[in-house]
Amino acid sequence: MTRQKRSRHRLKRAVAPYLYLSPSLVIIGLLMLLPMVTVIGYSFQNSAVLRRDPSFAGLKHYQAIFADPVFWASLWHTLYFTCMSVVFHMTIGMIFALMLNSDRINPTLRNILRVLYILPWLFTAVIIAVIWRLLLEPNGVVNSILMQLGIIGSKIEWFSSPETALHAVTFANIWAGYPLFMVSLLAGLQGIPKDLYEAADIDGAKAYQKLIFITIPQLMPIIISISLLDFIWTMQVFPLIWITTGGGPIYSTEVLSTYTYKLAFSSYNLSQASASAVVILLISLGLTLFYIRYQKAR
Amino acid sequence: MAEVVLENICKTYGNNFNAIDQLNLSVKDGEFLILVGPSGCGKSTALRMIAGLEDITSGSLRIGGTDVVDMPPKDRDIAMVFQSYALYPHMTVFENIAFSMRLAGKSKAERKKRVDEIAKTLQLTSLLDSKPANLSGGQRQRVAMGRAMVREPAAFLMDEPLSNLDAKLRVQMRAEITSLQKQLGVTTIYVTHDQTEAMTMGDRVAVLKGGVLQQVDTPKKLYESPVNAFVAGFIGSPSMSLFEATLTGNELICGAFGIRLQDAAFARRPSLRSYAGRKVVFGIRPEHLYDSSLESGRKYQTIPARVTSIEELGSEHIVHLNIDAVRVDSGDPDAVQDFGRTSNAVAKFEPVSEVRADSEIQLALDDAKLHFFDPETHLAI
Ligand SMILES: Nc1ncnc2c1ncn2[C@@H]1O[C@H](COP(=O)(O)OP(=O)(O)OP(=O)(O)O)[C@@H](O)[C@H]1O
Ligand SMILES: [Mg+2]
Repeated sequence: MTRQKRSRHRLKRAVAPYLYLSPSLVIIGLLMLLPMVTVIGYSFQNSAVLRRDPSFAGLKHYQAIFADPVFWASLWHTLYFTCMSVVFHMTIGMIFALMLNSDRINPTLRNILRVLYILPWLFTAVIIAVIWRLLLEPNGVVNSILMQLGIIGSKIEWFSSPETALHAVTFANIWAGYPLFMVSLLAGLQGIPKDLYEAADIDGAKAYQKLIFITIPQLMPIIISISLLDFIWTMQVFPLIWITTGGGPIYSTEVLSTYTYKLAFSSYNLSQASASAVVILLISLGLTLFYIRYQKAR
Repeated sequence: MAEVVLENICKTYGNNFNAIDQLNLSVKDGEFLILVGPSGCGKSTALRMIAGLEDITSGSLRIGGTDVVDMPPKDRDIAMVFQSYALYPHMTVFENIAFSMRLAGKSKAERKKRVDEIAKTLQLTSLLDSKPANLSGGQRQRVAMGRAMVREPAAFLMDEPLSNLDAKLRVQMRAEITSLQKQLGVTTIYVTHDQTEAMTMGDRVAVLKGGVLQQVDTPKKLYESPVNAFVAGFIGSPSMSLFEATLTGNELICGAFGIRLQDAAFARRPSLRSYAGRKVVFGIRPEHLYDSSLESGRKYQTIPARVTSIEELGSEHIVHLNIDAVRVDSGDPDAVQDFGRTSNAVAKFEPVSEVRADSEIQLALDDAKLHFFDPETHLAI
């Protein structure tokens, strides 16, 4: 090979990977970065989108939403909704995964349970919302069972009373989301070498000590990464809440996503909606950076 | 006092596979017993039953005089070293070694004192804060030993603990484990299928085949007087060569040649006479075959042989030969490797030997070192 040929060859090798990446980079740029930058721009304009030559607004819209008690209520609801969801997704997912992984359960039963437990995952958010609206109706199944058991005295309007609505949507979301944890943890459990448990048996560990000292540390990478992802996703949940309660009654289930949606499409205040969207973006971004740092650290 | 006594132990797995059949074995207090056998013969199964990791289908097992058949592993007062080491990956070396003490509720100071002691014996002191992933194979092996030693158990159980190490390290760890065991005086059952480990490490060796115990004896006894053709073929590397022959008077006739036997051979085994005129299996170890052109081979009778290949190891030549006789299979799958397809005998020659592959030679053999077996039962005569 001549020197010229070799250097051309080297150039080709250096450029080739970027050529392969370019289609996805272009698509990400067009579909993700561009709207993001546009929305950030809107949040600093007066009457964004509505006027052709919007004036610069500075931080006015941010000040406006920070002064709005509904914004703070939404933020609080979002945190409650998200934290409860992640914690229970993880706990329930863990319990079910441990059950499915146990060799003390009859294999046929185990296969049936595996299918049953994963069912919530097969439904889209809209169907889940509809199912739970039907179940939690004042005259629905849940109320009648609870009353038969004597746990509640009168019919509860789960989605329509301000005291219970937030818990009800959170509950529906917990039900809808644990299978991701269950499946991931089950895969993780199956990957833990058996001899670790045997060594622990010989060292004198009881069942709960094996859980604490072997199972959980071994699953930690999965627990942390799935929790972070779940946190990021759950913070942005919209359809489930929109269809069950629409954020009401009296803002009691208003979360950042419904709050932003209403600002944009009910009040047509696209500038403030953009500011609110940027707040969500910043929180998600913080968590994402955390996630990426964690992934790198491993 | 920690004898390990197995009586009529049987193991049938869930798929009705009989892995161990009527195993009787008594390991004395402080004894180092080696358990060997070809792959799949049930060595690990036997060890795991003693540890309590596998249920005993029937039979009785006593450790230090206590019947432990229905006891969980932690109550059996044993420690095990796994082939994979099974170190807890998320714990440091210190935590790995101290884990059993921590579970037993020992105080921090107590744990520290004991682990420091052990780390010193095993030269692990500088590694106590490392995680297993950052250790070399030999260091991991030592941590696994430390974890076993920490509780001062009644018995050590080791399942091929050195098989993941490279050859040099294996030699070193072999010596370390042997001297450690002598120093601690703990009853030890050690599974291996390495010939050298079997012959050099233990006080006694138990040979297992297909779940059935063949012979338990000192390494020297196993080598000199194997009870059957399987043990004869299995112990020693390369394997003993076994052939069929007809005993005619004082001569073994096989194919085109005969081997003359001394009267002493018959005196040592009186029943050999009763095979006169019948078929008999005889065996000869590679180290008892000589190059007849060398000084060492001069004094022996010779038989014709064809050299098929030679492995020059520096200190000796492993010579693969083909002699005109019917080879007998000892039942050891590893022996097939030693012989291959074209040869039926293996000899160890001195490195000065000048035999070449594909040549016809006169092979000298020390007829006093022959072994004889019944052609039907393969039992030693
Ligand atoms: N859980 C099990 N179920 C059914 N059969 C098994 C089980 N475990 C082992 N076996 C069978 O029992 C026999 C003995 O297995 P074992 O692991 O004790 O052999 P081994 O002598 O330790 O072999 P190796 O030298 O390869 O480790 C094998 O034939 C194996 O296939
Ligand atoms: Mg084994």
